[in-house]
Amino acid sequence: MKQYSDLEFLRLSKWQKFVYRLVSFFCSIPRAIGRFFKNIGGYIKKAALAVVNELRDIGVTFVHGDWKTKVSYVVMGFGNMARGQVLRGLLFLIFEVVFIFYMITAGGHWMSMLPSLGKVGPTQEYDAILDTYTTVYNDNSFKILLYGVLTIFFIVAFIYTWRLNVKQNKLAEQFLKSGKKLKSDKDDLRSMVDEQFYKTLLALPLTGILVFTVLPIVFMILVAFTNYDGAHNGFSNNLFTWVGLDNFNTLFSWKSAGGGQSYSATFGEILAWTLIWAFLATFTNYFLGMFVAMMINKKGIHLKKMWRTILVMTVAIPQFISLLYVSKMFARNGLINLTLLDWGWIKQPLPFWEDATWARISVILINVWIGIPYLMLITTGILMNIPADLYESARIDGANAWQQYTKITLPYMLFITGPYLLTSFTGNMNNFNVIYLLTGGAPTNPAASGAAGSVGYTDLLITWLFKITTGAESQYYLASVVGIMVFVVVALISLVVYNVLPSIKNEEDFQ
Amino acid sequence: MKKNETAKRHMGLRALNRASNTAIYILLIIISIIWLIPFVFIVLQSFRVESTYQVGYVIPHQWGLQNYINLWNSDFKRWYLNTFIIALASAVLVTVIQLCMSYTLSRFRFKLRGPLMRFMLILGMFPGMLTMIILYRVLADLGLTQANAVPGLILVGCASSGMGYYVSKGFFDTIPKSLDEAARVDGATRLQVLYKIILPLAKPIVIYTILTAFMGPWGDYVFARYVAFGTSAGYNVAVGMYSWLTNDQIARMYTTFCAGGVIVAVPVTILFLCLQKYYVEGVTGGAVKG
Amino acid sequence: MKKILAIILALVLALSLVACGDKSGGNDQQQGGNDQQQGGNDQQQGGNDQQQGDTGTELAGTYEVKVWAPDAAVDLTKQQIEAFNSSNTMGIVINATVEPVSEADAATNMITDVSAGGDLFFFAQDQLSRLIQAGALTKLGTGAATFVKDNNSAGSILAAQSGTDYYAYPLTADNGYFMYYDKSVVPEEDIDSLEAIIADCEAAGKNFSYELENAWYLAGVFFGTGCHSDWITDNDGNFTGIDDDFNSDKGLIAAKGIYKLVSSPIYVSSATADFASGSAVVVTGTWNYATILEQLGDNFGVADLPSFEVDGQSYHLGSYSGCKLLGVKPQEDAVKGAALNQLAQYLTGKDCQIQRTQEFGWGPSNKEALQDESVTSNPALTALAEQGNYAIPQPNIHGSWWDIAKVITTDIKASDGSDEALKAALQKYADSIAAVFEMTDEVRNAFTVIGAVNGSSWDVDFPMTADGDIWTSDEAFEMNAGTELKCRQGKSWDVAYPAENYVVEADGTYYVQLNAATGEVSLVAA
Repeated sequence: MKQYSDLEFLRLSKWQKFVYRLVSFFCSIPRAIGRFFKNIGGYIKKAALAVVNELRDIGVTFVHGDWKTKVSYVVMGFGNMARGQVLRGLLFLIFEVVFIFYMITAGGHWMSMLPSLGKVGPTQEYDAILDTYTTVYNDNSFKILLYGVLTIFFIVAFIYTWRLNVKQNKLAEQFLKSGKKLKSDKDDLRSMVDEQFYKTLLALPLTGILVFTVLPIVFMILVAFTNYDGAHNGFSNNLFTWVGLDNFNTLFSWKSAGGGQSYSATFGEILAWTLIWAFLATFTNYFLGMFVAMMINKKGIHLKKMWRTILVMTVAIPQFISLLYVSKMFARNGLINLTLLDWGWIKQPLPFWEDATWARISVILINVWIGIPYLMLITTGILMNIPADLYESARIDGANAWQQYTKITLPYMLFITGPYLLTSFTGNMNNFNVIYLLTGGAPTNPAASGAAGSVGYTDLLITWLFKITTGAESQYYLASVVGIMVFVVVALISLVVYNVLPSIKNEEDFQ
Repeated sequence: MKKNETAKRHMGLRALNRASNTAIYILLIIISIIWLIPFVFIVLQSFRVESTYQVGYVIPHQWGLQNYINLWNSDFKRWYLNTFIIALASAVLVTVIQLCMSYTLSRFRFKLRGPLMRFMLILGMFPGMLTMIILYRVLADLGLTQANAVPGLILVGCASSGMGYYVSKGFFDTIPKSLDEAARVDGATRLQVLYKIILPLAKPIVIYTILTAFMGPWGDYVFARYVAFGTSAGYNVAVGMYSWLTNDQIARMYTTFCAGGVIVAVPVTILFLCLQKYYVEGVTGGAVKG
Repeated sequence: MKKILAIILALVLALSLVACGDKSGGNDQQQGGNDQQQGGNDQQQGGNDQQQGDTGTELAGTYEVKVWAPDAAVDLTKQQIEAFNSSNTMGIVINATVEPVSEADAATNMITDVSAGGDLFFFAQDQLSRLIQAGALTKLGTGAATFVKDNNSAGSILAAQSGTDYYAYPLTADNGYFMYYDKSVVPEEDIDSLEAIIADCEAAGKNFSYELENAWYLAGVFFGTGCHSDWITDNDGNFTGIDDDFNSDKGLIAAKGIYKLVSSPIYVSSATADFASGSAVVVTGTWNYATILEQLGDNFGVADLPSFEVDGQSYHLGSYSGCKLLGVKPQEDAVKGAALNQLAQYLTGKDCQIQRTQEFGWGPSNKEALQDESVTSNPALTALAEQGNYAIPQPNIHGSWWDIAKVITTDIKASDGSDEALKAALQKYADSIAAVFEMTDEVRNAFTVIGAVNGSSWDVDFPMTADGDIWTSDEAFEMNAGTELKCRQGKSWDVAYPAENYVVEADGTYYVQLNAATGEVSLVAA
């Protein structure tokens, strides 16, 4: 493609710039991949070098260090304590003791089981006297995987801490040699609320994220490589085990699944609808919300606050009430149909949720009902910030309302809300509530009957994932593959948008 | 002559303006009706006593409080209390965690700041639903499921809330750094800067965070159901009331559901409308700066 | 090891029973044994002290039990458990918490976490296989199985069975459907003819609700023309095959009947109490009885399903008749397990079933209870009984069948009703169910390793690759001495080597090798 110089680029219209960025992004992909592979040797070399350096540093510190440092290699924190930093030393020591205790009592066991995910499943035994069957539970694949992953986390943390301990000894020696004083415990404590205050502040939130987000995600990614499902739940019936890439093969195979179309076709259909839905849901809300905000903001319209409050009610009322109620209202024997039948406007109930096209249009329209208020609030704030003299001068130049909108309001809005549009697009892709509470994915897609979890025409990837998890076969492994695919799609879209939209790329630009 | 023409055009503009304003008023009234109708209907149907299933009219033929009495006699009280406790606890904990996170990322420049923010961005791209199964198991191991679902839900709801730091970070970014620096020069520690200078200025965002954290649990259905399954004592309102709309119960419980909806929605809505100002500030700021 | 321990325990227990004098010794042993398994059982002690040699008395004690019952039945179930506590002669005291869990959700909930599930739970019979596979149902002992077989109607016995084993206690046998109608629209003389009813509805502008887009209702039409559809299960709850003739001449007649109804503008695919929303006929079950009675008032009518006519011949619409079952969760403690089985037998006995009929109109499965006046005087149950003459007891059905079968209706509805189009719909169905067990020749001929290998317990086939007649496993397995395995062809047991399980002699990591010509299995160290 044609490469523009900076000057030429600046002369392009906004639209041309956008297209240019889009095209050049995609054109640069092969080159970037090529570069990646070309540099792969370099990366490995760099990483290896880093490891060698670390190891050498550890060795050198040991050889040149004094006896306190040498003892610290085995008894963590000894050097700190010996040099008066009791608190630090104690923390190191406690961590080491806890780690060793854990590894001996539990960690070692879980690690050794990790490659097989358990050897002995539950057994049934017959008690002849009581004429009853009992079950003896043995290995638990689920726990092995969970605690195995946890143990790996723990080991990594230990190695890091041990390395930190060595480094601190080296630094302390250097400090003392050059005649400086080491930080006392009091200094350490004070710095926790001062220079190092960020560590104190982040400790709690990051621990939470590590345990309740990172660990589960790592675990679920691993599940995609096992056969964990309702019939192999790892404990009460059969153990589950590693199956390699089989599950990815299932999702992407072209072979018909249980009589219906193949998994890949079903996945493709759902993905296509998910993207269409996310696009329509985002932009209908965006433009209609902006429209409503402009109406309310117009000079000469009274009771601005009241209109806003009425709309904002939908935000306040929990969605499970409003959406469930609306869903029942539009049901075949719901209020809308019954009333229209009563008035004689229709002969047959309208198939709001029974017909694929009707259902898809209905969810988009009802989503507008839910979404406009947010957009109205957001755009109100921004609209008021647009400098009034811009409009004034436009009016003097004779621009009509439409021209003012397309030349001033819209570009300004798009520029400011670019990041919001992206998050709301990906948010809509995963908009579980609206779909699940309104239709539950209905109506059923007969062609996809072979796929797990009774797929419907309004199902998004996220509701499908839910259905697979809670459906008849509880194919957790497949849910996990679908989850990974959701991630891939969201990440790809974000990547493209980041590279194409200037206002997101450059943090300073929209200040 | 010329003057006359301008005046005429002015007149025409004013007439046009009036016409467009009228059109806008009509549109706004229509919109308001559409937006309010479901809520008015829920309230009306919650007072209907002649039948408990869906009917083709809105105004009850017979008014009464039977549905509310049914509500009182069901487990609804327990569900309501559960949800209230979760909402209250989340309001406190989520606010603390999110403020810690966003203040730090806004004010401190440390080596891992960039990677950390990028890492959380990537984490956020994984569908949360995926981790439901394992979170359940972790809670089950801690004994925080079913009858003890309330602390479990609080724990899970708050633990990862640090990821939602965007909105309040955006707000902190707007508070000038020179304020911090002036105070630091005067010898204040970072901690003192936070609670003496920043927090008073950040009142709107604090209230916004509290409000959203308090409102969230009222609509939490999927994970709450997964954690409390099969134990009415651990349900929240969403899980409990959803079960009334299943095929075998809807004919019996539809109007009771409406009554429950009113009881849940009224306090939350009033609270929301009182604090609306802060909410608008938060949402607007979040969209622009997030 | 544990097996041996259990056998010793059983022997000791037997001895202690026979030799009444020496109680304390047996007691200690029992205590120790329980500790080994899952914490001792304090009640045991008390129970054994008053031991009289009666086989029931060793069950005496207090048990914490969680029961899942549908919302409506919670209170009654509590009362019935109280009654059991005061009436049983074995000294069993059940301390029960009864939680409202719909019988439709039981399997989903149990599969989420068996250990947190109810010890006793109500469930709809179509969940039986899933529950067995999930390890959520305990196999009934011989006595309990006899109890089920002796007391219940034939259909409900079938529902509790997988292979030759029994896994649950029948609670009701009313999970069937029949017809409610509005007498002001459909006169009584028309209720036997589908065509007449459709004409009445069309004339009155009223709807006919019949949820044919649900396989459970749809299948009844095919049964009416003499078709059948049976899934074959083994003793572990696995499906091994299907015997189905919906795609036949008889099936075509049923398809024509379906087309008659679904092509009419008054057809509505629904099984809810629709009389308020414009329906004059609803095909549904006993659970909607009270609501419909209220909706219709004086015009309330109920009957068995009508007949439809194709080529001058009349076919009575058939139906499924299903059951609700009471399941017992597998227990680690045999004593508690036995006590739970006693409670389950009481709850599914004649008296409790009659109570449920009186309170909620649930139709009993117990043969004696069926003769009770409360059953025979209930109009809905009477209609159900009449329809019972045309009903097929619902067997174990593969989970994917429901989604596959309901497509028949969708396809028929979208078709023009010609024989070709109807045949195409049935052919599609037949292809779909065949594909559930579909295997390519490649899979059918390939050998796999199966056994207590890599943590699996005879449930995972590990692939092997052939080089001439020599098949070698794709991966090496870490195995201990005594591990047993086999090589089988096409993932079935028709061809499997060696005849007796192959037993590993020494610990190590091995590839498994099979000579398909001789059937000789050997190990190759990795």
